[in-house]
This record gives sequence, structure tokens and C-alpha cells, in this order.
Amino acid sequence: MELIKANGLVKRFGNTNAVKGINFHIEEGRCVALLGPNGAGKTTTLKMLSGLLEPTSGSIDFKGETAKDLRRFIGYLPQYPTFFNWMSGKEFLVFAGQLAKLNRKEAEKRSEELLERVGLTNAKKRRIGAYSGGMKQRIGLAQALIHRPKLLILDEPVSALDPIGRREVLDMMREIKKETTILFSTHVLHDAEEISDDILIMHAGEITISGSLESVMEEYRQPILQIEFESQANDWVKSIASYSFVSEVNMQGNKASIVLKDMVKGKQILLQDIVDRKLPVRKFEISQTTLEDLFMKVVKA
Amino acid sequence: MTHWVVLYRKEMKEMVRNYKMLWIPIVFILLGVMQPVSAYYMPEILDTFGGLPEGTIIEMPTPTGEEVLMDVISNYGLLGVFILVLSAMGVVSAERQSGVAGMVMMKPVPYSSYILAKWAGLLTITLISLFIGYVISWYYTSLLIEPVTFERIFQSVVIYSIWLAFVVTLTLLFSTIMKGNGSVAFITIFVVFAISTVTSILGEYMKWSPAMMTEYTGQVLLSGELDSNFLLAFITTMAIIIVVLFSSIQIFKQKELLE
Repeated sequence: MELIKANGLVKRFGNTNAVKGINFHIEEGRCVALLGPNGAGKTTTLKMLSGLLEPTSGSIDFKGETAKDLRRFIGYLPQYPTFFNWMSGKEFLVFAGQLAKLNRKEAEKRSEELLERVGLTNAKKRRIGAYSGGMKQRIGLAQALIHRPKLLILDEPVSALDPIGRREVLDMMREIKKETTILFSTHVLHDAEEISDDILIMHAGEITISGSLESVMEEYRQPILQIEFESQANDWVKSIASYSFVSEVNMQGNKASIVLKDMVKGKQILLQDIVDRKLPVRKFEISQTTLEDLFMKVVKA
Repeated sequence: MTHWVVLYRKEMKEMVRNYKMLWIPIVFILLGVMQPVSAYYMPEILDTFGGLPEGTIIEMPTPTGEEVLMDVISNYGLLGVFILVLSAMGVVSAERQSGVAGMVMMKPVPYSSYILAKWAGLLTITLISLFIGYVISWYYTSLLIEPVTFERIFQSVVIYSIWLAFVVTLTLLFSTIMKGNGSVAFITIFVVFAISTVTSILGEYMKWSPAMMTEYTGQVLLSGELDSNFLLAFITTMAIIIVVLFSSIQIFKQKELLE
């Protein structure tokens, strides 16, 4: 079922269009990654969805109806969460819970649950000011979940964390995924590949590619040949670009990656070529384009 | 409503934790006590430091209790206002700057609740400081100079609190509009003193001005009677406070939180 739908969302800041009329929808129960380089308009989009920023034009439907105040249904974790540093972790969660219309008892109970879940039970009485970056991210996640939102929006949830903190947050997201729909932005493609069901790729204020992770990979996947030489073989690599079955050639140092239209024919001819010319090959590998290749292609286009 | 209560309680808790609840009343108490004490000891002080020629007879008219309290009020009007504005300048701007205002507003909180809770918090600290400071000043005046009737004290403090309420409401407005704490304080103090100055220069035409509250406070203290124009000034002040609060809410709505 369709949970949230953006219709022609535009956000203009002065003369610049940060978001240029995007349309997309998110299915209930999916984990969606919003990808894009810095400045693509990811944060602006997320803020509009979370009700923190008024779109210049366009509308957002929630469960098929044009929603006025989305904030009740959404839990949001900004890229740089901040807190009242004089509050303890527990106090902040109870405060956030009460603001989200839980009564005091419910807020207390839910806070304890979430503290347990994000592993901060031992630190709940400490001032948030004394928390580490990873702990702040976790308490931020807890406050976003306090009112059991229908949609959890996370803006770069792991970008600022060290590998351990990143692992922890990803594991938590995998748990949360079972209960609620998640939309998160990231520029770490590996994370998106790891836990998302659907992806949206944004570039310069527009959504260029969207769909389920498999279908996007399927659709844009191309066979690729990677050849590593023992010494420079630039001349040959340049010459093969003229073959009809080769669509793209990239050379980095002694490594060439060649995108092929026809793998079966291509690899035979190229192998034959290498043997005929006695080129010093160290590695000859057949693989597929990755999400990163796709991303680079979209962004550079 | 419930949002308002939660936010107001947070404001109060914050003022207790950062000791504002302690030091602002202390400043008002000090300002209030200094006046009667120095008036009482003035002859001795002059004697000690004066170095007047022997045999000079100075007639020091001892001020009346009401006059001493008038001086207290004018201290509050200067240093008191200064302290209040400085302590309140970051009320919204600091939370916007740190981004924590966004953390609050991404919950389903009405914008009005946020601003009105801030306003109520400011009024609370202002009134508590003014009342405590003034009552203690009244006690010392009665002890050292002469007793002043409770009625006059009560009326004058109520009228004066309207002026201070006006000042903190302005601070809230500028704190919502601007981001830098320093500029908030500067603009607020500038506007407050501009209003006061213009009012005292063009007294005839400014009977409705909020700054007239200071004048009326003095009248009630000294004569026990109120000018008939008080009602006019009272109504315009209240109207301005309401308009300023309303604009603060609208402006806050337009601001981008969480940058």
C-alpha cells in the first residue's frame, strides 16, 4: 500500500531551485534509500516530507489524502541532531514523547523501552551534553521512534559515525525495518545496497532513477570486463574502443575496465587479441557494474 | 494546551538548572536594597568622604519612603531592563542557532505553543524578580526611612510590571527575528530606550505610550492617584503586546529550522 506520495514538490531558496518538482511514492513497509551527491537536494526533500519545511509548490499525500500536518505520523532524525544538553537522556525522551502527545506515563514507559533498545539504559541519567557522537545518534534515533511513527525519516544516519557506530546504527535500522517504513538518505552506497529495498537517486534537485534495488540493478546492470596489466598497455586499450561490441573504456594506471554490449563475443575477441599481441596480463575478470558505477554515471551525466 | 504545559515546564526547569531563577532575582534584590540603605547612610557617607569645612551645616532633606521607592523603580528601569534583556536575548535565537528548536518543532507542536510557552517563561522570571526585589526594598525602606502603605506598593508594582512585560515581549520578538544574541540585545535595548526618550520628550502627545507606565508608577507611589489617561496607555500596551506576540508566532512559522 502507498504510504506517502510526493506530487511535483518544488522548493526554491531565493533564486536557486533546490528541489525541482519531484514525484515519487513510498510503499508501506519498505526501506527506501535516497541517494545523491552533496547538494542534490536530499535534505530539503526530507525536511519537506517531515513537515519542517513548507514546499514552494506541490503537495504530499499521506495514505491517499492530502495531509496538513504530517508531523504526527513521522519520526525524523536530522543529519546533526541537537538536544538540550542540560537534560538527561531519559528526560529528553520523555519530553519528546509528551510533545508527540503521549501522556506522562506512556512517555516514561516508552522511553525506558527505547533506551533499552538503543543500548543507553546505563547512560539514561547522564546529561546529554556528556554523550559521545554515537550515543547522540542513538538517542536521536530513540526520540524519532518515541511516538511509533508510520514513517521514520533519517538524514544521513551513519555518515558521521566511526565504523563501530555505523555498524550499530545499521543493525538497529535492520531491526526497525520490521516494524515501520524507513526513508533514509545517504551517500554511502554500500549502506544503501546493504539494507534498502527501494532506492531513489537524486541529482541536481531531480529524481533521476527510482525503483526497487533489484530492478534498478537489473535494468542498469551491464557486463564489465576488468583487465589488469603488468605494464602499460595504453595503445591497445585505446585501439579496442573501435570494436562495435565495446561501449565504454576506462583506464586507470595499469587497470582497464571495459563495458561491453556483448559479453560472449567480446571476451573471446579480446582474449584472442591479448594472446596474439602477447600482452602482459595479470588479471582478466568478468563482472557486473555496481551501484557505484550507476551512481557515478547518473551524477556525471 | 498540553503542548504548552510541557514546554512551559521545560522553560522553568531550564531556568532552574542554569541558575537564572537564582541570579536574576538576586540582582533585583540588590538593586532594591541599595537605594534605602544608601539614602539612610547618606549623611554619614558624606561625613566620612566629604571633607566639608568645619562648621558647615548641611540641611539634608531626608527623602520620603515613596521617593526612595521611586529611585528603586528608576534603577529597575535602567539596570533591571538591561539584565532582563541580556538574560532573555537568546530565548528563541539560541535554540534556533543550535538547531534544537527544530528538534522540538518536528514533533506535532503548534508554533503558537512554542512562542507562548517562551513568553510565559519570560514573564514568570520577570515578575518573580520584580516582586521579590520590590517587596524586600519596601521592607528596608519601612525599616530605615519610613513606612509606605501596602496599597501604594501593590498598585505601583502591578503597573510597573506591565512595562517590564512589554520589554520582555519585545525581546522575544527580536529573538525570533534575528539569530545573533548580541544584535537581539542591542536592538531591543535601543528600541526600549528610544520609546522611553520619545515619550518623555513629547509627553503631551504620548499619553498612550507603554513607556508612560513608568510615569504612572511614580504617580501612584507619590500621590496614590492615577491619571485618567492610564486606561488608554494600559489598553495600547496590551494591544501592542498581543500584536507583537502574534507577529512573533507568524515570523517563527516562516523561519527555517534545522539548517
